[in-house]
Order: sequence, then structure tokens, then C-alpha cells
Amino acid sequence: MTADAPNVLIEDVLLDGRIRLEDLVDRDGLDELCRSFHALFGIPVRIYSSDGALLADAAGEQELCAYVNTTPGGRKACAAVVGAVRAHEPGETGDVVHPCFTGANYRILAIEYDGRRVGRLIVGPFLPNNLTEAPPSLFAIDPAIVPEEAQALLPKMPRAKAETVTRISGHLKAVLDLILFSGHKAHVTSTMHLASVRESYRQLEEKTGRLQEAFDRLKELDRLKSNFLATVSHELRTPLTSIIGYSEMLVEGLAGELRPEQQEFVKTIHEKGEQLLSLIMGLLDLSKLESGTMRMAMRTARMEAVLREVVSTLTPTARKKGVRLELDLEAGMGELRGDPERLRQVFLNLVENAIKFTPTAGSVTLRTRMVADAGEGEEEGLSLLAPTRSHLEVRVEDTGIGIPPRERAKVFDPFYQVDSSSTREYGGTGLGLSIVKRLVEAHSGDIRIEDNPPRGTTFIVSLPQVAPTVSEAPRVTG
Amino acid sequence: MQINFGGREIGIKLVYYGPALSGKTTNLRSLHQMTTEGSRGRLMTLETKDDRTLFFDMLPLTFRASGSSARAEGERTMTLRVKIFTVPGQVLHASTRRLVLQGADGVAFIADSQISETEHNAASFLDLRQNLAELGLSLKQLPVVIQFNKRDLDRVRSDDEIGALARRGREPVFKASAVNGQGVLETFFGLLHLTWTRLDSEHQLAKMIGVKSDELLPMAARQLGLTGEVSTLLSACVGGSLDRHTTKVPA
Repeated sequence: MTADAPNVLIEDVLLDGRIRLEDLVDRDGLDELCRSFHALFGIPVRIYSSDGALLADAAGEQELCAYVNTTPGGRKACAAVVGAVRAHEPGETGDVVHPCFTGANYRILAIEYDGRRVGRLIVGPFLPNNLTEAPPSLFAIDPAIVPEEAQALLPKMPRAKAETVTRISGHLKAVLDLILFSGHKAHVTSTMHLASVRESYRQLEEKTGRLQEAFDRLKELDRLKSNFLATVSHELRTPLTSIIGYSEMLVEGLAGELRPEQQEFVKTIHEKGEQLLSLIMGLLDLSKLESGTMRMAMRTARMEAVLREVVSTLTPTARKKGVRLELDLEAGMGELRGDPERLRQVFLNLVENAIKFTPTAGSVTLRTRMVADAGEGEEEGLSLLAPTRSHLEVRVEDTGIGIPPRERAKVFDPFYQVDSSSTREYGGTGLGLSIVKRLVEAHSGDIRIEDNPPRGTTFIVSLPQVAPTVSEAPRVTG
Repeated sequence: MQINFGGREIGIKLVYYGPALSGKTTNLRSLHQMTTEGSRGRLMTLETKDDRTLFFDMLPLTFRASGSSARAEGERTMTLRVKIFTVPGQVLHASTRRLVLQGADGVAFIADSQISETEHNAASFLDLRQNLAELGLSLKQLPVVIQFNKRDLDRVRSDDEIGALARRGREPVFKASAVNGQGVLETFFGLLHLTWTRLDSEHQLAKMIGVKSDELLPMAARQLGLTGEVSTLLSACVGGSLDRHTTKVPA
């Protein structure tokens, strides 16, 4: 068998399990069955297991037997008969008669299940139909037995024809067989059920183990990737800083006047250097955000100041492109908890993006409003809790080329561009939005995209407002 | 197989495998109906309310084999217990199928003849192979017969097609309409023949029981109350080889 083979062996149950009568039937139930048989036919009945243990007994002592047992010889002989009956194997036919010295008989029948003997049924003592007088064997047992008394008790013993006993014991065996079959069926079914569950569990465990291994390996790869990215970015930045610095000095004439053409070339070097630097910074930010090592300086941030600064920084860019840049602030915007520098980065990126993708004579609007939290529909105490939660929604609306709905989730993936040709037309690395999303999430906020009818895109950033503490809540006084 | 020398019993386990609703339980029911009470036990089935097998079905058959010739030492009657199991066909009961397959001495693969079921048949056969492999068994070692069931339906693969397929394959193929009792005994005896031949060649069972190898099947058929010849039943095989496990017999 291979190592993968199921560890549950149920062959014994299914194929050749030794079926034991006592395992399949309820003892009390069997007792009840025998008592009802006794009540119905008046004949005592006992059931023994195949190893001779008494399983059920409905055989109150007969008056004649009780009388015989009062004599020492009778007691001994009676015990001998009972012992012999118990030990009597029912032979090949599975049905034998064992006589008693009283003239009564015992029928010993094999109980079979599935072609095997699983126990014995002992019916009796009962008198054969033709016996009317106590036999001499009874009186020979002990001289103390008074023939008249014994004779008087004899008719009180149950009496039955051999065929009748065959018929009724056949019925009892059939009932028992059905009980055994039901018990056996329940037994194999429950065993099978347990085995199936264990087998399914074993399979699941195996699969979970394999998945866990794969997951661990991927996590390790991811960590290595982040490390690699961070290291490479860092190593790239150092020489780049020198390139930028020296080209700047050249442009400023610190190494002597440059001819206009030289000036142009060096300016290009400087510009491209700055572009490369921002790409590297982006990569660094992304790897820090992904590895969870980005440090946030969380404090109370005044969003109004952050947004005004963004607008004033980008107004020249917008003006240069002929795009109208507007700021629409809702009064009473308040403060929220965050890193103002990172929040500035978020909106700088979004607004810059919006300007980039908006054609001349278009407009970009930065709009804010406070939104009360709708909360989860089923939450307990919603009507009390919801008013304490609100968030600030900042919408960056442009009248640009728009983003098709199916692309909206993907634009936040690193290096994703809706149309790869747009990189050439509009520039950009495809890193900005992925960083924005992660920064917003680091502020427990979220970002989504909607249309800006009739044309353009709206980026909506939701940032949770600091909930008022209990002490700030208005007190109710009497 | 299990041999109990003390109890003079041999237990053989046959498994009816196949896709869901191909008629495995129907085969057992028919077999149960077509045999007399003496040798067969009660058919144990466990079905859900929509008549789908939940765990398995089991039909026990018991044959008493007493040697008429070549009496072994201390020869008495030997009991041959054949238990036929079906597996639950539905895909979700994969673990139960594997459990039932444990220790199988032979497999009857019950395929659905309907052309639309072709892929299910193939998938179930691959499932059988996979489960056997996990149990450390292979189809090469195991006696397998194939039954194309539901011949009574429309849109089934034609007799010619089945004949052509069967002649190309190794496994003996039987055609059946289990619901009408056709092909059921043929398939069972085909499998019993293959399995007995294999087990006998490995364990010298005939010698142990004191019968001739070719006496056992007719003996079983008689005890099941069948009047026809076993060879007639076996001749219903339309392809494959019924003798592929006889080659190992040492003289």
C-alpha cells in the first residue's frame, strides 16, 4: 500500500467482520421480545450468544420444576439438565430436542445470520402434546417426590405440538433475523460514515498542508521581491542624485557658461534624471507599503490646508495646459487623523493625473463633503451609532478621457495602464495610483472611481473622520 | 480476499464501479431477484430519498463448496462468501468510493451506453484508476469486466460500435439492460470467473477446497438456482479476454 493510502481499514466491517449477536441487538429490547413471545405462546424462551452468554430470558420457573427442586436429588438432576441444555450444540440441522426427566422437552435452535451461527434459541421446557402422565424417570430422581403431587403439577406446564414449536420458533427467528439485519446495516453504515468522514478529513488535511507550503513559499518570494526592490531602488538613487546635482550645477553655470545647445542637452539630462528619481521613489514607496514598513507620521491633519496646498502647487501646471483647476470646500470640514505629508502625496498625484488626462479647456475640480456613515444594515443599535461615524469624501473630478468601468479596478494595480499607448502620450509609470490606493488604505479609507457625466472621471477618496469621544458628546442634564 | 482456515471460509470482494446513475444498484437488485434464497443474503442498500446510493449497496452470496474429487486433507465443506458492493457514483462521494474499493478482488465497471454519457464513463474509469493507484493497486493486476448497461434506451452506442471497441480492449465486455435483468448474470459470472481464476492461480484455492478449478462456477450457479450453463453466460462476452489471468497457473 502506498503512503497515500487511506488509513482507515474498514474491510473487517464490510467483508468478513465477525458479527456478534450481542453487538447488534439491544439487550433490553431482546428481553422484551422474549417476554412478549412468552406472553403470547406461554412457552419459555431464552437466547444465548455463540459463546454461551445468556442474552435474554423469559422463562419463569415452572411449578413442577420448583417442586422437584425442593428435593436434593431433584435439585441436582435439574441443574444437570439445564447445564446440558445450555451446552447442547444444535448440530448440522440447527434444530435439536433435549429431553428432561420430567417428560418435558427443550428445543435448541441455531440463530444464524449471513450464513453463520451467531447464537442459540432455547425454547422450553414444554410438554409434548401426547404426554399425559408423569414418566417414571421423574420419580426415580428422588424418593421424596410424591407422584400424586408431581402428577397434579404436570398439567400446569405448557404443552405444544412439535410442529407448533417449529412454526413459532421459526417466526421468532425471522423477527430476530430482521433485527440483526437492521442492526448490522446501521453498524456498517455508521462505520462507513465515520470512515468516509475521516478519509475526507485526511484528504483535506493533505491539501491544506500543500496549500500552506505553497503559501509560505509565495510569502517568502514576495518578501525577497520587496527586499530586492528596496535595495535596487536605494542603490539606483545614490548615483542618480549625483547626476541630478551635477547637471543642475552645469545648467546654473557653476562650471562656466554653456552654449545654448549644451544648455538644452544638460537640461534634458536633468529633467530625465528627475523623472527617473520620481520613478525610483515611487518604487520605494510601493515596496514599503507592500512590506508594511512605510512609516506614517499620524497626527491631526487639517484637510483644508492639505488640499489648498495641492491646488496651489498644481495651478501652474494646469494653467500651462489650459485646464481650469477649482477647489470646492464644504464648510466645517474639520480635521482627521493622518499623515499630512502622505495625504498631500495622494491628492497631488490624483490632481496631477486628472490634469494630465484632461484636454485643454477642460476642468479639474477638487470637491469635499462630509458624509454620515450608512453603517451595516443589520447592525444592532445602528440608529444610535451611525450618527457618530462620518467620513470625509474628497472628489477629484475631471473632464478627461474617462476610464471604462471594466478597467476601474485594475488601474490601481502597479504598472497598469488602461491603454499602453497612453504611456507614450501622457507619460507616467503606472505606479502612482497603486501607491495612492495603498496610502488611502493605510489611513483606513478607500478609493473608488465613478463617471463624471457627461465626460470624464471622478476619483472618490473616503477618509474616516475621528469619532467624537464620549466626553465630547453633549451631556443631557436634568 | 480473506481466508479463514479455522472457519473454512473464503471471502471474496467484488465491486461494481461506474458513473452516477449508470445502474450499479439496479444490477444488484436484478441479481438479487434472479437468484434463489438459499445462497443469497439480504440486499443491503442505503439510498437517499431520490434513490441515489449514499454509501454503498451490498449483496452477500454464500456458496458451499464440497469437493467431488481431488479431496484435500481433512476435507470438509468450504464456504465461499462473495460480497458484491456498489460504490456511490456521484462525484462528491470520492472518499467513500476509495474506501469501498479497498481490498477488492475484482471490479465490474458499469458504463452507461448512452452516447451522451461517454465522457462520464471515461471520467469514472479514470477515477477508478486513480483510486486504485492510491490504494497501491493497478488495473493491470485487477480482474475487471466492463458492462455497457441501458441497452434498452434510445441514442445508445450501437452494438457494432461496442463490439469494435470491445475487441480492441483487454477487459471482457458485456452488454446489459439491468432494469430488465438482461446481461446481469452474464456480467456477474464473467467477473466471478475472472476473479476466481486469478485468485485460484495465486492461492491454489481449488486444491484447498477440494474442487476442480472449473467446477466452482457451475457449483455457484446451481446454488443460486440457475438452470443454464455457465459457459453460455460467459459466451455473452463481446470482446476482451476472459482468460487473461489463467497464464500464471503453475501446473
